[in-house]
Amino acid sequence: MRRSGRAALSVLCSSAVLLTATACGGDDTSASGGDDNTITWWHNSNNEPGRGYYEQVAEDFEADNPGVQVEIEAMAHEDMVDRLEAAFQSGDLPDVYMERGGGELADHVEAGLVRDLSEDASEEIDMLGGNVAGWQVDGQTYALPFSLGVVGFWYNTELFEQAGIQEPPATMEELYTVIDQLKAAGITPLSVGAGDKWPAAHYWYYTALRSCGQDVLEDAVTSLEFTDPCFTQAGEELQNLIETEPFNPGFLTTPAQEGATSASGLLATDQVAMELAGHWEPGVMQGLTEDGEGLGDRTGWFPFPEIAGGEGDPEAQLGGGDAWAVSQDAPDSAVDFVTYLLSDDVQVGFAENDMGLPTNPAATDAVSDPALAQLLEVRDAAPYIQLYFDTAFGASVGGAMNDAIALLFADQASPQDIVDDTQQAADLEK
Amino acid sequence: MTHVTAAPAATDPGAAVTRGADAPRVTGRRRREKRRQRLEILLFVTPALALMAIFVVYPVYSAARMSFYRWKGFGPMVDFVGLDNYALVLSDDVFTDAVTHNFIIVFASILVQLPLGLALALLLNRRIRARGLLRTIIFVPYVLAEVIAGVVWFQLLQPRSGLLEQMLSSVGIPVPEQGFLGTPDLALTTVFVVLTWKYLGLAVLLFLAGLQGVPDELHEAAQLDGASWWQVQRRISVPLIAPTIRTWVFLSMIGSLQLFDMVWILTGGGPANATTTMATYLVSQGTQRSNYGIAGAASVVLFFIGFAMAVAYQFLVLRRDTKADA
Amino acid sequence: MARRSTTYGRGGPFVYLVALAVVAVTLGPVLYGALGGFRTNAQLARDPAGLPDPWVFGNYGNVLGNEAFWRYALNSTAIAVITTAVAVLAGVMAAYPLARYQFALREPLFLVFVLGLLFPAAVAIIPLFILVTRDLQLGNSWWGVALPQAAFALPVTVVILRPFLMALPKELEEAAMLDGASRIGIFWRIAIPLSMPALVTVGVLAFVTSWNAYLLPLLLLQGEMRTLPLGVADFSTQYSADTAGVLAFTTLAMIPALILFLAMQRRIVSGLQGAVKG
Repeated sequence: MRRSGRAALSVLCSSAVLLTATACGGDDTSASGGDDNTITWWHNSNNEPGRGYYEQVAEDFEADNPGVQVEIEAMAHEDMVDRLEAAFQSGDLPDVYMERGGGELADHVEAGLVRDLSEDASEEIDMLGGNVAGWQVDGQTYALPFSLGVVGFWYNTELFEQAGIQEPPATMEELYTVIDQLKAAGITPLSVGAGDKWPAAHYWYYTALRSCGQDVLEDAVTSLEFTDPCFTQAGEELQNLIETEPFNPGFLTTPAQEGATSASGLLATDQVAMELAGHWEPGVMQGLTEDGEGLGDRTGWFPFPEIAGGEGDPEAQLGGGDAWAVSQDAPDSAVDFVTYLLSDDVQVGFAENDMGLPTNPAATDAVSDPALAQLLEVRDAAPYIQLYFDTAFGASVGGAMNDAIALLFADQASPQDIVDDTQQAADLEK
Repeated sequence: MTHVTAAPAATDPGAAVTRGADAPRVTGRRRREKRRQRLEILLFVTPALALMAIFVVYPVYSAARMSFYRWKGFGPMVDFVGLDNYALVLSDDVFTDAVTHNFIIVFASILVQLPLGLALALLLNRRIRARGLLRTIIFVPYVLAEVIAGVVWFQLLQPRSGLLEQMLSSVGIPVPEQGFLGTPDLALTTVFVVLTWKYLGLAVLLFLAGLQGVPDELHEAAQLDGASWWQVQRRISVPLIAPTIRTWVFLSMIGSLQLFDMVWILTGGGPANATTTMATYLVSQGTQRSNYGIAGAASVVLFFIGFAMAVAYQFLVLRRDTKADA
Repeated sequence: MARRSTTYGRGGPFVYLVALAVVAVTLGPVLYGALGGFRTNAQLARDPAGLPDPWVFGNYGNVLGNEAFWRYALNSTAIAVITTAVAVLAGVMAAYPLARYQFALREPLFLVFVLGLLFPAAVAIIPLFILVTRDLQLGNSWWGVALPQAAFALPVTVVILRPFLMALPKELEEAAMLDGASRIGIFWRIAIPLSMPALVTVGVLAFVTSWNAYLLPLLLLQGEMRTLPLGVADFSTQYSADTAGVLAFTTLAMIPALILFLAMQRRIVSGLQGAVKG
């Protein structure tokens, strides 16, 4: 559930990704309820307490809106992604569902599948502020993010102590020192699931975020031009990091999250000191240790370090999350339901049940886990949050970008190649 | 079955095919018999042809149609781009590398699995102790699902912690820094070794079937003439099962060109595209990048390469076998 | 049979040595999986070679006590049975005229099936998915997976059955014909019983292929309808720390196909004989 921010693309399950596009659909049951008083709602909180909590939320909504019925379908994340993809193909969507934003959403908007919420939910959109940026197309808002996380370094505080590291690094230079210290202590500094590509790509996203100004990045999303020299610079910065050889053995085929030998598994089992990952990491690590604790109280977190001389804002963060969207043909009451899902009460309960990182400021204090609370603080202090590039640019451009970045990790592509390959895929989109 | 026979005859190419049979030369009773025969043929082949038409030909046709459009997987296909997707596929280094990998596997299979399979089949055809058990054992990997075999091998091949590296280092053999699957230069070889482990059983199975058809008398006669076991195998058994060998080569070629499951599970085509095949390329283009047009073009190219090789092989090698049959 | 000279056709020590090596390489990974299921995860990490110490039966017990495992097994069985029945019946029906009738388009028609070998399911997987779920409304059902699988199994079925049917003696047919039996009667009463060994061969191949199938079921089946190979992936995601549990699951999932194939092994070899003599 935690890793819901990104599709879980393990080596084994990357076949499950197949589904993401071809997808599997129980088309036999019509997804949209059809009449105005029934709202069909798909979500991926299929474990307790989330499942029960959402049932309660739906009941409360029904009580406040007599005559309206909410039909819930709770499913595993991968199943939901698959079924949604099939639903997009057939046009037979549930009334309320999850959108990840960016290019994917733009495609759905273009196909006329998603309802514009700008007017009907203007109050909530104001309340969410910059958080909705990833779910806007041409200035209109199409979904309301209910959980939004940022990517940063998760680390093992005990291993840091062992290597005599006092403070988590704040600049790249400090990060290199930390890597040297860890290596000197016989500890593998970092794990990365480059086999799944996107975990490797996150590094470049961050070096690009630190190297390029906000306007350059925003412009790239709309113009699909990557001519600014900062994009090449991003690759060079990353190359410097890769040259310190900080990664786990076999990182080129390491999966992101599946199994004890995945990147997350290595961090969870004290095999490496750090991993760059999103807010889902503690939850993933819990599932990867036999005691179900993950790193437990050894868990630490620090944001991606500053790059000296970069034009990007050092406080800007890379992130992403999930948002509630309403399908084009849904009844109006579905919009009411979505705004209810973003209300103070529901979001506080959401945070208390550890279901994600709430976007409603009123729920911030309800996050109890210290590492997550710290992450939330960084998120809320960020001048802006850049949506994962692969999500922002869409599968086609994002996929080409991720592939090229993975090649850089294998020392088979240059910083310029990343820009060229991305540009080539982007030119096809124009 | 009702499902199948109920399929409309119009979609059934066999119907048209049999109707066109040489009519002019026959007359009277023979013509009636001919018509009756045609009806019977139709009845017999319709279910199979209908199934093939619906579930094989039509989807392949759709994939081919897709290749002329830019399409993201939903909404109507409207963005016609002509042959652009083909140009993209053929100029994509990743795809041309994938073709190279496919051909490396094709030739490596023939060069390695053929002699190995033949040797094992000859061995298992001898009167050695526990022959039945040995035969059984050698088929085991072939029967395993790719997913299951993949999961187990993935564990075995883990860098450092995997059993294989632990065993090698314990006897002092150096292991690659990034592991067998993680080193681009070694990954394809590693995948090929796993493939050989998995599919050698099929070669042995086919060769054994062929060898059982070689009459014992031949061996006895040759033996009386003073020929050694090896001479008998080389001069008699192997030539006699040559058609079997050619059939296996054909199947192996096709299988190698279509290679997908094991690669997908072990490496997903990585590291650094070192193990991509045409099939993994098209699946990742289609389903991960939503470039369904490019995926369609890649599948058409894959089909034609397979088709060309099959035709060439038929002409160069298999013709001998079918001729003998007529 | 005359006694053979001592060395001819028998194995010397070298032959047994080779045989032993082959057994080790072939069975090693399988045993690793099966034995891994008897270890704890800690054992697996510490000492993956050698025998489990102590033997742990909990992993297998958990899988066998898992309701989902049995549901997946039922789905796998049902789909494999339907696939096999359809493929074998449609296959033998098509192979029969291709083997026993003389007609002009016999070879071109046979070529259609040979060409079928050239279509990998991966090529057409996306349109196939749309066809099954949207047009036929068979998504997430046994038939939705079994029918396409049977269609993809047909080429190899026909290619194996045809030479076998060709080799049947003509006299039997002629005798039956004189007794007034129709061609269809001959097909049911003579051709089918006589080609049983080949039918068993193609049947087992179709069954095992369906049992092991991954890509198509992955696309078409969800939740309760999934098959064992999908369950393996599911299991290794859900309990990702539990490698020993995954190994136990994979071991149990492979047993039925293995038993079927091994029990039928002798027949398969003789059934293939006709095919490979081509």
